Amino acid sequence: MRNKKHFFAFILSVMAVSFLAGSALAANVTGKIAFDGVAPAVEMIKADADPRCKAVHPTGITPDQVIVNSNNTLKNVFVYVKTGLEGKKFDAPKEAVKFDQHGCQYNPKVFGIQTNQPLEIMNSDDTLHNVHALPTASQSFNLGMPIKGMKLKKSFAKPEVMVKIKCEVHPWMSAYAGVLDHPFFAVSGDDGSFTIKGLPAGKYTIEAWHEKYGTQTQEITVADQDQTADFTFKA
Amino acid sequence: MPPKPNPTLYSVSKTFMWFAITSFVLLLCLVAMVYLDYNREWKGWQKKFIALKVEKTQKDLAEASGKIDRSQLETLTKQHAEAVKAMEAHHKDAAAAEQTVENANSKAVKAKGIYQNLKQYQDSYRYFFEEYRRENDKRAAEYSVKLEKVIPELAKAKSELETLEAQKEEADKTLAAYSAKEKELQKSIDKLMEDKTRVERRLEAVKPTLAKDILNAPMVDFIHPTLQIQQIVLDNLQDDYHFAKVQKVDRCTTCHLGIDQKGFEDAPQPFRTHPKMELYLSATSPHPVEKFGCTACHAGNGHSVSFTNAAHTPNSEEQAKEWVKKYHWEELEKWDAKMLPMKHVEAACAKCHQNVLEVPKADKLNEGRRLAQTQGCINCHKISGMESHWKVGPDLEHVSSKLDHDWIVKWLQNPQDFRPSTKMPRIFHLSNTSTPQDIERGNAAIESIAAYLAKNSEPVELSKPSVKGDSAQGEKLVKDLGCLACHSVGDVKAGTFGPELSGLGSKVTQEWLYTWLKNPKHYSKNTRMPSLRLSDQEATDISAYLLSLKNEPFASKAAPKAKPEVIDELVLTSLQGTMRLADAKTELAKMSAEDRLQFLGKKSISHQGCYVCHSIKGFEDAKPIGAELTNEGHKDIHQFDFGFVDIEHSRAAFIHQKLKNPRIYDQGKEKDYYDKLRMPQFNLSEDQIDALTTFVLSLTEEKVPMEMQKRLDLKEKETEEGRLLVSKLNCNGCHALDGKTGLLRELNEDKGNAPPVLDGEGAKAQEKWLHSFLKSPAPIRPWLTYRMPTFDLTDDETTTLVHYFANLSHENISYQGTVLPETSPEKVAAGKELVEKLQCMKCHQVNADSAAMGTSFLAPDLILAKHRLKPEWVKKWLTDPQVLQEGTMMPTFFADGQTPIPDVLGGDTNTQIEAIRDYLYQYQSGSDSADSSKTNKK
Repeated sequence: MRNKKHFFAFILSVMAVSFLAGSALAANVTGKIAFDGVAPAVEMIKADADPRCKAVHPTGITPDQVIVNSNNTLKNVFVYVKTGLEGKKFDAPKEAVKFDQHGCQYNPKVFGIQTNQPLEIMNSDDTLHNVHALPTASQSFNLGMPIKGMKLKKSFAKPEVMVKIKCEVHPWMSAYAGVLDHPFFAVSGDDGSFTIKGLPAGKYTIEAWHEKYGTQTQEITVADQDQTADFTFKA
Repeated sequence: MPPKPNPTLYSVSKTFMWFAITSFVLLLCLVAMVYLDYNREWKGWQKKFIALKVEKTQKDLAEASGKIDRSQLETLTKQHAEAVKAMEAHHKDAAAAEQTVENANSKAVKAKGIYQNLKQYQDSYRYFFEEYRRENDKRAAEYSVKLEKVIPELAKAKSELETLEAQKEEADKTLAAYSAKEKELQKSIDKLMEDKTRVERRLEAVKPTLAKDILNAPMVDFIHPTLQIQQIVLDNLQDDYHFAKVQKVDRCTTCHLGIDQKGFEDAPQPFRTHPKMELYLSATSPHPVEKFGCTACHAGNGHSVSFTNAAHTPNSEEQAKEWVKKYHWEELEKWDAKMLPMKHVEAACAKCHQNVLEVPKADKLNEGRRLAQTQGCINCHKISGMESHWKVGPDLEHVSSKLDHDWIVKWLQNPQDFRPSTKMPRIFHLSNTSTPQDIERGNAAIESIAAYLAKNSEPVELSKPSVKGDSAQGEKLVKDLGCLACHSVGDVKAGTFGPELSGLGSKVTQEWLYTWLKNPKHYSKNTRMPSLRLSDQEATDISAYLLSLKNEPFASKAAPKAKPEVIDELVLTSLQGTMRLADAKTELAKMSAEDRLQFLGKKSISHQGCYVCHSIKGFEDAKPIGAELTNEGHKDIHQFDFGFVDIEHSRAAFIHQKLKNPRIYDQGKEKDYYDKLRMPQFNLSEDQIDALTTFVLSLTEEKVPMEMQKRLDLKEKETEEGRLLVSKLNCNGCHALDGKTGLLRELNEDKGNAPPVLDGEGAKAQEKWLHSFLKSPAPIRPWLTYRMPTFDLTDDETTTLVHYFANLSHENISYQGTVLPETSPEKVAAGKELVEKLQCMKCHQVNADSAAMGTSFLAPDLILAKHRLKPEWVKKWLTDPQVLQEGTMMPTFFADGQTPIPDVLGGDTNTQIEAIRDYLYQYQSGSDSADSSKTNKK
């Protein structure tokens, strides 16, 4: 009899744990990317050679490698769960990540995408762009897009942080894609903040990546409460 | 009573006893003989293999029956039983039907007989009728009548036969209908059980049975045993037993039973599957076992079926110990052709694969062959069929314009003191020349060599840079121009083809380096260093950088001085070689100090063989000094002088030790100075020694019949010549080509900025263009910082390379220019429109605007296309450039085969690509279009 009781208790606890782990025990991780130091001097890039680009940027193009927000935070930092999700599987969303070439610049400059998730590449400019993605793990591609409004679809098969994307017609144009096999990533915005949503309970290493200032990591433990993870990049 | 008189002279009872004893002993001997004859090592292995095979087949059987769909089988069996029942119920009807078939059959047979009979009559009448008619015989009329009569009879018989046959078929069908269902179901069941049945049959075949045991029993096993020695008789290969050649017979498969069967990859030895079945054994491989056997590659005694007598050779001492324990292995000292240890097994490839630079997939042997050339082994040692293609060391005919006396003296003391990565071996002060007296002798020789070289050096005119050099700019140029394809500098470990350039500031002067960089052939006409067409400024900047790299410890060292009395001693010893002591002394006394130095210098250079690697005046026709190695891999083991060195007495061990320490076999010996071993100490890693050992073991004069050798056809020979030139010029330093990665390409993360891949160059470039480009390279890719050097190739060399590229791409060579595909003015016009719409000219135009956009903007000038590219290639290129040139900046405009311009040429991708190509072949320059160029011509 006692054995049976124990057995029931065990079953109940297993059910409870799995239920909690499955839904309730998940939280958001938010944070801010502070910037410590002096932003590099802005040297405008001349776009004279391509009249279409010059028309959009008559005084030249602002370099987008380092963008320091007004609240002294850093934009375009890619934050993602680096370790802690091993063995778990997450289906790729059917919805495409949109990637635009607009005003001879990439939009977004830094973005995350899941493996095998479609990437919809658009050319909103009335000039030739080429989209040359240089992943090492997945198949690279280099697409010429001579027509305004044309769209092409591609995807990355293997995770890789980061994949550089560049345009050889306009050497200043570059973008970075963080390719992951899970959906737990975010990019810091105009206020330097980011939110990774719905991370299941567990211990994780999260990493923040910046094009110029490199990477930083933090260990976090997620239970049922939202967590904060702030980073500071020094110039 | 007196004892019975013994009629014989011996004791009968005693004789009986002895007879009994000897009979018993003889019986025991007989039993022992039978047992020893029966109990063979190989039988044990065969029994073990049978057990292994049974075990494996049982596993397969379990797997096969596991795969059978149980429910389906059950249903089918049920249906089958029902069908059988139904058939039995109609037993009587079936019997009746059977009777009908029989009747119909007998009638048909009868009718057929009648028909055939009549047919014969008809043929015979026809023959006689025709014959008589030709001879105008009267009997013709008679046969005409007979023929007339038989024709209708035959027609009638035929129609009767056909009716009866139809009736018979009908009856057959009726009968079959009774059992059709049963048969069909049985078929389905059989199909379902197919795999299992097959494995069952296999198991039945391999399982030991009583019958097999009887067949294998002692005394009767001569009839038809199942345990048998397996052998492969090789018609075209022979074993050389010194005085007789015997047809090769390999019995290895007697124990290596799983060697050619898949599925024993993890089985214990000797049963394991051969690890490279795609290359060996299988009928579809290039080396099927029926043709090549085993010992042709592995060596050893193929006739033997015992582990020891087969001459198995362990890889290491640990393995030897393991074998002794496991197989009672012992080394066969008397057997000449021992198996090659597995780590050197590639040595055997060379028997048949001669006259090629590389044997496919034999990486170690290939590395050994490469080292033999690059380290200068074949400069010194004669190997028939492998002449050296270049001198490894620099020319010394003008050395006084480059190096000073002290530098040469310090360098010769130990070249590694100056440059640890140098290929120049250490010649002096080695293990057999390290006594204080020998060191003095060495110093005397070094001093005299330096004196000889200085005296026999013709000065070269050097020029001085006219501008000021910038070291930082020079450092950048070394990286940007591609010097690292061959050289390493400072912390950058890159090319090892040419010498490492660190420390150059402690070696040469600015004038020499500047002159050298501007034109290497000016100083040394045979150098492999190409010209990079450097401007004065570039050459000055690079020399400024390289000269800033000093080797202070080396520079601050003093050069040891030679003692005059030691010089005299060595001169006297040398003179004594050709004259009596008294005469030698007189001769010596006649010489001035300088004469003595020069005499000894010449003697030392010829004794050490410096000239085999360096061009030295006075040694133009001197013969190499090393022992001939043509048959070294096959040389009798007793001809190797192991001296007092305690190592295993095998060829591999001797060669390995010799390469590791070339003077070691002088250990413990008393020898005169000039009699000591001379092979210098090379700067080799353990892996390199291993590869060179494999190479030396591969050297054999063993005659393999021509039909068994890999023979090259004309094209393959051309390709080999090209390969040799590619290795001589180090094309792979930059380019990926012929299965090798390009070093600079590898070092570049962004392949778009790396030297191009040359695989497929033969399909890409027109021969005429390629020829002129190789003779005199000019920039094609304006954005590349790397510069294709000018190699000063001869016409022959250039042609060799053109043929090499063409052959690699399976292209036919045509110097006539390329035949353009047929096109129409409309198509060309559409091509022009497409080029405009796709905005090709944004990158493919060299003008001020594009220059302003930065270097990455400049793509090859399209004016080059018509003379440079082959039309078929242009089509492939436009379809997907990444396939042909990984990482290229050229994008595809036809992603997934779709054109972005649907309103030209009906939006057909292929036609559009052709149109663009056709336009390019008519394209003139810049803004000129094909049409306007035509009008211009008018």
